[in-house]
Amino acid sequence: MTPEDLRETIARQFGRSLHVRTLDTGSCAVCEQEIRLLAAPHYDLNRLGFFFTPAPRHADLLLVTGPMIRAFAVAARKSYDAMPGPKIVVATGACALGGVYPEDPFTHGAVDAVLPVDVWIPGCPPSPLALLHGLGVAVGRLADKVRDLPFTEANDPERSRGAS
Amino acid sequence: MTLWFIRGLRRGVVTTRYPARPDASAASLPTPPAFRPQGLTRQIADRLAAICPSGALRRDGSVLVYDVGRCTACGRCAAQAPDAVIRSGEFELATTDRSALIKNIPVREEAR
Amino acid sequence: MTPLVFLYAAAACWLAAATAGLLTARTAAGLRACCALSAAGGVAAAAGGGWALFYGDTPVVSAGGASVVGATLQLQATGLAGAFTALLGVVAVAIALYAPRYHSPSRGTGLYLAAYNLALLACLAVLAAGGMVTFLIAWETMSLACYLLILRHPREVSAARGAFWFLVLSEAGFLLVVAAFVILSSKTGSTTLAGIASHASSVPGGWRAAAYLLALAGFGFKAGLVPLHVWLPEAHPVAPADGSAFLSGVVVKLGVYGIALFAFRLAPPTGSWPGLVTMFTGAVTAAIGILYAMAERDIKRFLAYSTIENIGIVVTAFGAAMIFHTSGQRALWTFLLIAGIYHVANHGCYKTLLFLEAGVTEHATGTRDMDRLGGLIHRLPRSAVIGFVGTLGIAALPPLNGFVSEWLIFQGLFQGFRTGSHLTGILIVLAAGILGLTGGLAIYAFVRGFGIPYLGMPRTRPAAEASERGQPVLGPGLLALACVALAVGAPVVLYALDKAARAVTGVTLGPLLLPGDLTVIPAHADFSAFSPTYLAAFLVCALAVPVLIYLAGRPRAGSVRVPVWDGGIVAFRPRMQYSAMTFSAPTRVTFDALYRPSVSVTRPSDDDPAGRSGPVHYEAQVTPVFQRYLYRPLVRCLEWLADLVRPIQSGDVNLYLLYVFAVILLAYLLGAV
Repeated sequence: MTPEDLRETIARQFGRSLHVRTLDTGSCAVCEQEIRLLAAPHYDLNRLGFFFTPAPRHADLLLVTGPMIRAFAVAARKSYDAMPGPKIVVATGACALGGVYPEDPFTHGAVDAVLPVDVWIPGCPPSPLALLHGLGVAVGRLADKVRDLPFTEANDPERSRGAS
Repeated sequence: MTLWFIRGLRRGVVTTRYPARPDASAASLPTPPAFRPQGLTRQIADRLAAICPSGALRRDGSVLVYDVGRCTACGRCAAQAPDAVIRSGEFELATTDRSALIKNIPVREEAR
Repeated sequence: MTPLVFLYAAAACWLAAATAGLLTARTAAGLRACCALSAAGGVAAAAGGGWALFYGDTPVVSAGGASVVGATLQLQATGLAGAFTALLGVVAVAIALYAPRYHSPSRGTGLYLAAYNLALLACLAVLAAGGMVTFLIAWETMSLACYLLILRHPREVSAARGAFWFLVLSEAGFLLVVAAFVILSSKTGSTTLAGIASHASSVPGGWRAAAYLLALAGFGFKAGLVPLHVWLPEAHPVAPADGSAFLSGVVVKLGVYGIALFAFRLAPPTGSWPGLVTMFTGAVTAAIGILYAMAERDIKRFLAYSTIENIGIVVTAFGAAMIFHTSGQRALWTFLLIAGIYHVANHGCYKTLLFLEAGVTEHATGTRDMDRLGGLIHRLPRSAVIGFVGTLGIAALPPLNGFVSEWLIFQGLFQGFRTGSHLTGILIVLAAGILGLTGGLAIYAFVRGFGIPYLGMPRTRPAAEASERGQPVLGPGLLALACVALAVGAPVVLYALDKAARAVTGVTLGPLLLPGDLTVIPAHADFSAFSPTYLAAFLVCALAVPVLIYLAGRPRAGSVRVPVWDGGIVAFRPRMQYSAMTFSAPTRVTFDALYRPSVSVTRPSDDDPAGRSGPVHYEAQVTPVFQRYLYRPLVRCLEWLADLVRPIQSGDVNLYLLYVFAVILLAYLLGAV
């Protein structure tokens, strides 16, 4: 199956109904708070057809946070293996993408050291809006736009100064 | 129960329309920075790479390798070099390709 | 040619088997010969019993000239006894197939088998008894033979205690039964069962009720009605597996037979209160039986309490039948008799099967404790499958036989509104409610009873190393087939039982029970209906659907084998599984008032001055309520009375001479009067 066919299949199967299983591989739990907000009335991911499920057996998408500490690697692998295919792995948060914690005797440093990641969502923590965007990208409903963003402002002095 | 219902009707719908329509709160979100190559000398690039706590910045020759994924939007680089670092305002950063998050920002050669 | 011919043949076979056991069971060949004779007797008994169902009551036969206690040996094959005889035969065959591989040839085994075959013979004599004296002699012989049966290992204290409980309670019951028979025979002037039955209506209502209650209590000791059940959990664990199977499969059924005999033939009561007493005794027995079963770790004690539960169900059915009889509902009277006997046959099959499998487990692993087992489905696959059939049956799950007979009993009880009185109707439905609770708890108990030993991971090394080599399979397998046959062939069985019931009640249900098309209805056409045969066929076909879907979809998608999702635990250890006691903890907490557990918890930090922690020791003991609050006071009372009377036996010769003189004087005075 070519990557385009795979994306199309995923969009068709999961586009309107996706079950998400969250996995904390050693994060500070702020990402979890943002994820939990997704179920609250303001962001309400259920209206988009996404649902949280505790059982990997019922899950389509594994939403992983944390730097993948070594003590958790077996459990993470088991959670991934317990999901029936087709399945998507989304790594979210700066820790999961390799930032904050380097690889050392206690942690792998990034989720893709143990699990095959399909979608990365940066942020520390990623806001619920960023998470919704990320889930949309994962099921092919929204466009992946960061590729075209240059993150440089050569000639634009009107942009506000400072990063925050 | 009835009071709650009536109060809710008066307040209206609080659920955001995102992603169908943009959300107003997005304007005040902390976001990873963007860089202005004019303000970015080698010296400044090295200083920024040294103070980034998350390892998102690294100078490689005349390029500042900026890993958007590793950035925590802490603001230290902006405080260090306000001319070189500006707010990007971008929060829709999800991607299926990890390398799309690694940006090469050109570093200005200092005129001696 | 009457069914009695087969019964004579069976008796001869069993007598021969008993002598063979005494003489030859020291060798393997002798053991097999003894069991073969026993099996032959079983076949003959099953044939005789089956025929007797259709034949009806034979005339009373006085077996030539044998004069015992001034009365001759009287035999009669009745339809009612025919069902129990057929069960006796099937159980005998199954145990005979099982015994050669279970027992090792030795002198002890020989004595045991002799006692066992003598017990079979005595049971047959009880069922074929046509006269009061024959019945009582056969009953007592059966009790004594069963006592020897339980006492297979006389040097073990627990065995001696279990056998002693059995003997004492059997004798107590025997006294009451004798009293009941004496009342009836003196009031009707006849000593044959048929004679008493035909003159039953001439016995005044009060005496009839008294005789019935004495019989209920007397036979209740043997059947295991609460609070007379205490011997069951004591005797079953210590007897050999086939002995326990025989006790639960046949001997307690004879208690039920006795109750049915008095309730339906010899002393049918006139008021509805004996029926109410019987019904509620049965319902309470069933509930208490299964509740105590939930607290047991020993597989055989667990099965013994489950026997008590099932007997309770049958007695409830009989009690409700009696109530229907006194309020004129003759069809429901007959229907509940049939349903009760059907349940007796079913329970005989699956309980015997489960006890035999418990024996296999005990031999394979060396323990009866559920909490030391686990994962036996991999080590003992054939036993697991057979045990599963038995478990499905006893948990009354469709499509097996337990479901059919319990459905029939419930349908009979639900029609309580047909009695004229509102109060009686409500009480009958209340009993049905208690049975409903029992049914739910039974499923819970047997999920535990099958799941903990057979499923999951082995909890100890013996369980992990159990082997099925050399274990008996044919005997239990035969019973599993019997369970399935009794379920799928329910219309045939009910037809036969209908014929047998006609001899007792005079009512033939015919189309009110079997309206055709393999359907069964509960004595009234407008109440409900169900077809056991079609249900079994439907369930089998329904199981085929997912299989077909899998087979059809298989070529399209590849599949991956991954371990069971265990929450991501790195190493799953057997100790992390449910144990038998934790699984039943919700029940034990809810019914805490019944169990009255005495709990002792010791923590090392309690004694340690520095408060250091360590392994916590927890022990909980269920209080034996009946032994402590009923039997022990009674025994103390008897001991006190014995102490009072002791001075008579003083050892002084002069006092004894005085006794002799006083008695002679008394005799002269009485002779002169």
